[in-house]
Amino acid sequence: MWKTILRRILIMVPEVIILSILVFLLAKAMPGDPFTGSINPKADPAQLHHLMKLNGLYDPWYQQYWHWVVHLFHGNLGQSYQYQEPVTRLIAGRATNTLWLTGFSMILTYALALPMGVFAGRHEGKLPDTVIRVYTYVTYCIPFFVILVLGIWIFGYVFGWFPTTGSISTNATTWLQTIGSRFYHILLPAILGALFGTVNIVQYLRSEVIDAKRSDYVRTARAKGVPRKDIYRHHIFRNSLLPIAAFAGYSITGLLNGSIFTETVFSYPGMGLLFVNSISYRDYTVITALVLIYGILNLLGTLLSDIILTLVDPRIRIE
Amino acid sequence: MVKNKLVLSAMAVLATLSLAACGNKKSSASSSSAEAGASVKLLDNYNNPAKANAAANNGTLKIAEANSSPFQGITDPALASNAEDSDVFAPGGEGALFNQDKNYKIINGGLANLSLNRKNNTATVTVRPNAKWSNGMKVTARDVEYPYEVIGNKATTSQQFSADFNDIKGMAAYHAGKAKTISGFTYPKGQSGNVVVIHFNHMTPSMKFNGNSFMWGYVEPYEYIKNVPIPKLAASKQIRKDPIFTGPYKLNKVVEGESTTWVPNPDFYGKQPQIKHISINVVSPNNIDKAIQSKKYDYVSGGLQGTDYKQLKNLKNYHIVGSPALSYDYFGFNLGHFDTKTGENVMDPKAKMANKNLRKAMLYALNLDQVTKKFGYGMSWRANTLLPPVFTNYYNAQEKGYPLNIKKANQLLDQAGFKKKGQYRTLPNGKPLKINFGAMTGTSVQMAEYQDFLQQWHKIGLDVQFAGGKPMEMNSFYAALQAPSQNKIDVWSGAWSVSSEPTPTQIYGQDATFNMGHFVSAENTKLLNEMNGNKAWNNSYRTKIFKQWQTYMNQQAAVGPESFGYAWSPVNQRVKGYSVSPADNNFWSNLALTSKNIQ
Repeated sequence: MWKTILRRILIMVPEVIILSILVFLLAKAMPGDPFTGSINPKADPAQLHHLMKLNGLYDPWYQQYWHWVVHLFHGNLGQSYQYQEPVTRLIAGRATNTLWLTGFSMILTYALALPMGVFAGRHEGKLPDTVIRVYTYVTYCIPFFVILVLGIWIFGYVFGWFPTTGSISTNATTWLQTIGSRFYHILLPAILGALFGTVNIVQYLRSEVIDAKRSDYVRTARAKGVPRKDIYRHHIFRNSLLPIAAFAGYSITGLLNGSIFTETVFSYPGMGLLFVNSISYRDYTVITALVLIYGILNLLGTLLSDIILTLVDPRIRIE
Repeated sequence: MVKNKLVLSAMAVLATLSLAACGNKKSSASSSSAEAGASVKLLDNYNNPAKANAAANNGTLKIAEANSSPFQGITDPALASNAEDSDVFAPGGEGALFNQDKNYKIINGGLANLSLNRKNNTATVTVRPNAKWSNGMKVTARDVEYPYEVIGNKATTSQQFSADFNDIKGMAAYHAGKAKTISGFTYPKGQSGNVVVIHFNHMTPSMKFNGNSFMWGYVEPYEYIKNVPIPKLAASKQIRKDPIFTGPYKLNKVVEGESTTWVPNPDFYGKQPQIKHISINVVSPNNIDKAIQSKKYDYVSGGLQGTDYKQLKNLKNYHIVGSPALSYDYFGFNLGHFDTKTGENVMDPKAKMANKNLRKAMLYALNLDQVTKKFGYGMSWRANTLLPPVFTNYYNAQEKGYPLNIKKANQLLDQAGFKKKGQYRTLPNGKPLKINFGAMTGTSVQMAEYQDFLQQWHKIGLDVQFAGGKPMEMNSFYAALQAPSQNKIDVWSGAWSVSSEPTPTQIYGQDATFNMGHFVSAENTKLLNEMNGNKAWNNSYRTKIFKQWQTYMNQQAAVGPESFGYAWSPVNQRVKGYSVSPADNNFWSNLALTSKNIQ
């Protein structure tokens, strides 16, 4: 297995190189540049050209690419044109915010969806099943940004139960306050994300449970007189988790992607918002760094998913 | 949806950018009487009759910064390039040097005084002896000079360098990296004294005004930041995490991209502020109305739209305060090209839009009064000139501009020989005339406005279509227009923000690369030069020339005025002393609260 993992990682090297060239070229192919957007009667065009030159933006793409790669190997992703600070520092700050939010949201989602899926599968065709199915379909139908806007309006503005902007209160000073305030700020978007993001897990789990219920090993266990509770806990649940485990790798690495909608509505400075802004500002260094990170995370995600699969399902072994 | 927001944010940046750079202390600008065409009249201050009290002032003044992206966090105006940074760090005073009157003219009484000497070509900046940074350090002559080094440095990240800075002796050599210092700065009392003399090659009347392009209006703490290499300054902790200020407040805490909090600065030279705490939070423009309606903030800085006004104008306990913005929307016509060899704009007599009657007809055909009324909700109105009314002195209220007149538009076209052949008119030589209208993607409201423009032009028989078939993304739009020569766009709708010193040479000059329509004429050059010629030291002469220029530009119709707007905000009724007049030099110290909570 270790050999396979190593091989997979080695294959990732050319993949990442190709990805980086593509990303680099596509970013450069966008019309405009990081400085044209800031034209105003006081900005001197000559100075903007000077800055373009200084940043090597007039060089041929392969030269620019080469410089970028050389810097990359020094752990330097460049300087953001828009924020005028190192991209690594910028991304690190945003990634922390995003991890808080998406991490908590994911925990809530699984905490909600796993019991619901098992419960629905167990009571297939009965009232609880119908209720859960209708619930998941309804939440699936409503566009998420509508939920966010409604959520912030009702719980943030009308009732005033939750903060409506940012990731932390301006008053938080002590360590405990900081943690508490951060948690308070992600609570509403995370709950909304969890309540309305359960459909995939619930549906997969439900159908797996229904399948497993009818399988031979369950029948055998029942025939042996194993209590129902134990059958669900030890036999059905573990086996039904397989398809969900297959996604888990993506989910974990996808934590960093952030959510453009959530971050926009809640003015939450995370990775999603950073990505969108960097595109509109033509902040090349940030765009390329982010896409590269996302690409690598995706590759890692598939690997992780495979590893998780072998852990949950002893029948599967990667050779 | 996301895409629209994006472009909007970029446009907002574009529209407000130079506000950050100009010399006034607040990003909103003001005057009280000149908004001639506006259907809604706003006051530039909120005269609160209630009494402020100590208990209330011990509370927190809550300000919302309406912006769709996190702020950058650069406290130094020499390095910042966005209005949002300027807004969220405003209570610190940003190191602004000079006080100003309602016409943005520099007056005595601020952090420093200015005296211009036309005979010796010098400007003397005298810092008040008791001026201190918020860490107790003295503000020195070197602090006045250092921003010029930062801005002019060869490897700087600053976008603020203007060709006019080369008028300072030695600046060109320093900017080219040939000199270590700028020779045009001398210090009669030494670098740690309080007097600095700037030697120019020649003087211009614009130097009397804040926001002019020859002088920088802010100080930087030289001793505090001297060890940071200039290219790394914008990323340094001295600028971002632990900045120091000269203004009435000092930074208590900054949460990157989200919020800033402020407490009074005991080292401030002037009137101590009354409110003990200020917090400024970034709020998405998508829910700013809800945030105000649920009384989370006292007032808003950053841009509010006409649609927000519709939502907020009748809100209980809030008063709408505003004044004409330092910006205007315009229609540009493509009349030639930019000769990159000579560095000058050249008009092409054969250009599609070269016929003055055609341009005038297109402007008369538009129903801008109704469009602005319907979509601006009173917060914008048809512009009559190319100078916003915030400049009470220079603004030419007498000009009619181009009100709707379909009959006249048709007449003009008939006279010029654009005959109707079927549905549309042809060129005088009988060839078909197809006009490409360049527009930037935006909100649905903007889209509706564009459609109305096209419809009006069709009415007078002109075949006008979107350039490229649909509105363009902002970057593509400006990339197309800024090309030295282009035939993609014949007429376009754009916006300019203007500095608090409004000489428009950088937009309409013969050698201006921002002169994207390439309009050039001897008369225009003469008027632009006269604005800062020797005679223009006389204010009434300068005013006369500015007015003449507006009339002339209307006659030429090479650039058509589209709309003016307000910079405005709702202000909670517990706030006392709020004013957006440029003459209010003690904005932060004058603010007070009359009750503990937002009402």
